[in-house]
Amino acid sequence: MVKKYTSMAYANADDMLFGNSKFPVKAGLGLEIGAGYTTPELNYAPRPQAGKSKDKLIKEYERITTDAMSRMVQIGSPSIVLETEHVEQMSNNPSWGAEVAHAQKTIMEEYHDEYGIKCALRHTIGDIREDRDFLQLRGDKYSVFLEAFEECAKAGADMLSVESMGGKEIFDYSILRNDTAGILFGIGVLGSMDMEMIWKDITAIAKKTGTVSAGDTDCAQANTAMFIAGGLLDKNLAHTTAIVARAISAARSLCAYEAGAIGPGKDCGYENTIVKAIAGVPISQEGKTSTCAHSDLMGNLVMQCCDLWSNESVEYHGEFGGTTVQCWSETLAYDCSMMNVALKIGKAKDLRDILVLSDKYRDPQGYVLAYDNAYKVGEAIAKDGNNNYLRAKNAAIECCNIVEEGINSGKLRLTRFEITALAKVKADLEALTDDADKFTSDNLTKFKQEVAVFRPENYGL
Amino acid sequence: MLDLKLEDIDGILVRYNVALEKEMTPDEAAEELYPKDELIYPIAKAIYEGEEDDVIDALKAAIDAGKKPIDLINDALMVGMGVVSQLYDEGIIFLPNVMMSADAMLNGIEFCKTQTTEIPENKGKIVCHVAEGDVHDIGKNIVVALLRAAGYEVIDLGRDVPVDEVIAAVIANKPIMLTGTALMTTTMYAFKEVNDKLLEKGMKIPFACGGGAVNQDFVSQYDLGVYGEEASDAAKIADAIIASGDDIEKLREEFHKH
Ligand code: B12
Repeated sequence: MVKKYTSMAYANADDMLFGNSKFPVKAGLGLEIGAGYTTPELNYAPRPQAGKSKDKLIKEYERITTDAMSRMVQIGSPSIVLETEHVEQMSNNPSWGAEVAHAQKTIMEEYHDEYGIKCALRHTIGDIREDRDFLQLRGDKYSVFLEAFEECAKAGADMLSVESMGGKEIFDYSILRNDTAGILFGIGVLGSMDMEMIWKDITAIAKKTGTVSAGDTDCAQANTAMFIAGGLLDKNLAHTTAIVARAISAARSLCAYEAGAIGPGKDCGYENTIVKAIAGVPISQEGKTSTCAHSDLMGNLVMQCCDLWSNESVEYHGEFGGTTVQCWSETLAYDCSMMNVALKIGKAKDLRDILVLSDKYRDPQGYVLAYDNAYKVGEAIAKDGNNNYLRAKNAAIECCNIVEEGINSGKLRLTRFEITALAKVKADLEALTDDADKFTSDNLTKFKQEVAVFRPENYGL
Repeated sequence: MLDLKLEDIDGILVRYNVALEKEMTPDEAAEELYPKDELIYPIAKAIYEGEEDDVIDALKAAIDAGKKPIDLINDALMVGMGVVSQLYDEGIIFLPNVMMSADAMLNGIEFCKTQTTEIPENKGKIVCHVAEGDVHDIGKNIVVALLRAAGYEVIDLGRDVPVDEVIAAVIANKPIMLTGTALMTTTMYAFKEVNDKLLEKGMKIPFACGGGAVNQDFVSQYDLGVYGEEASDAAKIADAIIASGDDIEKLREEFHKH
């Protein structure tokens, strides 16, 4: 049995701050994350043609790494994390991923030796556990998946991550049909089960290789909801529904840390502030600096409690100011510099609140993720921390309550449509059983019928 | 923590969606659009509400009262779905409602088919796929649902579809249009290959392409490409083909907005 979180790492929401976590993590070459300063985390993607062969791919990552490291030195950044999110070839052929990790790390070591710049390399393995039609979370693909972690760790990756997909087949179906129970089942139950399995195994690999078991994000589900919800004028999903999916995802992403991961949580996990409140782990976040990859409605707010500050992903190519990795790492580094100054001169809480207030009332998603409210969602999770289902459901209900409070205060202004959608989700949630076994068996029966690609054996069910 | 005064918020951000929300509720707007026939009305309304059981009950009642099952498909189910599509296009209802209505409509069509030996006609066949190497299929699923909702027969090849399989499906089904979805810059190049192989085989059909990574400039680079930004554009492109033919230049004139 894994230990579950039943209390909060922080006594008050106000104690949460960027650049500081309860349990800082040492990684790579001289870096400590969440230990009183923030660090940029740069993420990039190779150009499409570079994926044609292993040699081309390695060359591309060498260029990326050298460009980024040199820019960091040129502008005097004290630290940098590089995150390589695997393209499929690198995880399906673990030796490719490993050779890329080795090539990158070699360059980073040279810079560290010459300039003393603190740095670390995160490799995010692709969740390759699927074939064309079905998820294949267990079995052969799982072995290759774990092998990719191990090979990359041995070859130089300092931190191990993934954006895992457990529960996605149910979620994809449910989110397009406003099926609240399905969203909860996909993320909170199935997602959590898969997370417990993989993170136990990834943590074992990290221990064996002396690397960091860093954590996961519910990109596959909560971010999908956020993207479908889109901007203020989009009509594809209520933003109130999207934030309920996000609140549930915190209960799911927490499972990594319960299974032994120690952070830093991955950048695109917008649920990370909730996770940090409960687990005290350092987190990476992305916002206004990830406009190169996607648009969100909380570009400043998400910076509130970050330990690493990321750009999500950018294709490697030239810009007027250098290559993209140089431009974006520079932007990240200046943001970190600002946060680090605020920490030194005792103004960090003010800066944090300014960042939060610039987005808090823009959208229900930012409202719930603002650290004061995120903390409350955290408490609702920890209250029933031992029960994956109940804590996910608690998070969802607390999320609805928080949005309602916001509406009642007059500050969070929503359309009638959003308010009706919220009322529906809340009513659905309140009608659900408290019995996790009953919930699971009811939904198993239902989705076996409704979702053709659902394979319960993926979850050992 | 620090906070903003209520009156200061508007200067910092504008909720344009709140400012612009229509007066009429979705239910009221739908009520205005339903057909008035008292046997058809409950079917259309049940479609709008996405209630599969109510659709079947209302169909049974209409059939008992003498309506022909085959006619109910076009005169009731499609009309009800038309209400839903119109409200979605006007921004009055959201996508999940459309998806649920589409499920209810397809269910209704299946039911009607069991009540008759006649074969229902559809507006035309369309083949849909996600590019080889790409598993991002939510956008494609939306496209498929909206096309079916608009009365087309969709052959859904799924995701990560090898180029040759796309070509084989087009040859086998002779659709009026092919759609492709790609969300990655690394996978969208498959569209060019599809285009070239189709031309090689002399199949000159519009190839509507969309999805996160895809943009108009890219799609304009190959002869058959027509770019669509929103999933609902797929149905609009198909309707344009039905209405005025499959001249790709003309389609581009209408749908290439950038
Ligand atoms: C959800 C998601 C996933 C989910 C997909 C779930 C699913 N079943 O689809 C999962 C977790 C599986 C996933 C996996 C990966 N992902 Co992903 N993912 C996303 C994300 C966050 C949202 C995509 C989405 O669903 N959008 C919502 C849908 C509704 O939008 P849409 O498909 O574009 O469709 C709309 C329109 O485009 C239009 N449309 C679509 N098709 C068509 C067709 C026609 C004819 C018309 C007219 C219109 C039309 O209709 C829709 C509604 O209007 C994007 C982020 C982003 N910025 O896009 C990344 C993103 C696409 N993913 C990315 C990556 C890199 C990956 C992975 C490689 C990650 C990894 N290392 O494992 C894998 C890919 C595996 C593979 N081989 O494909 C990158 C791609 C970068 C690139 N190279 O271009 C993105 C852009 C994220 C980023 N910024 O880095 N991902």
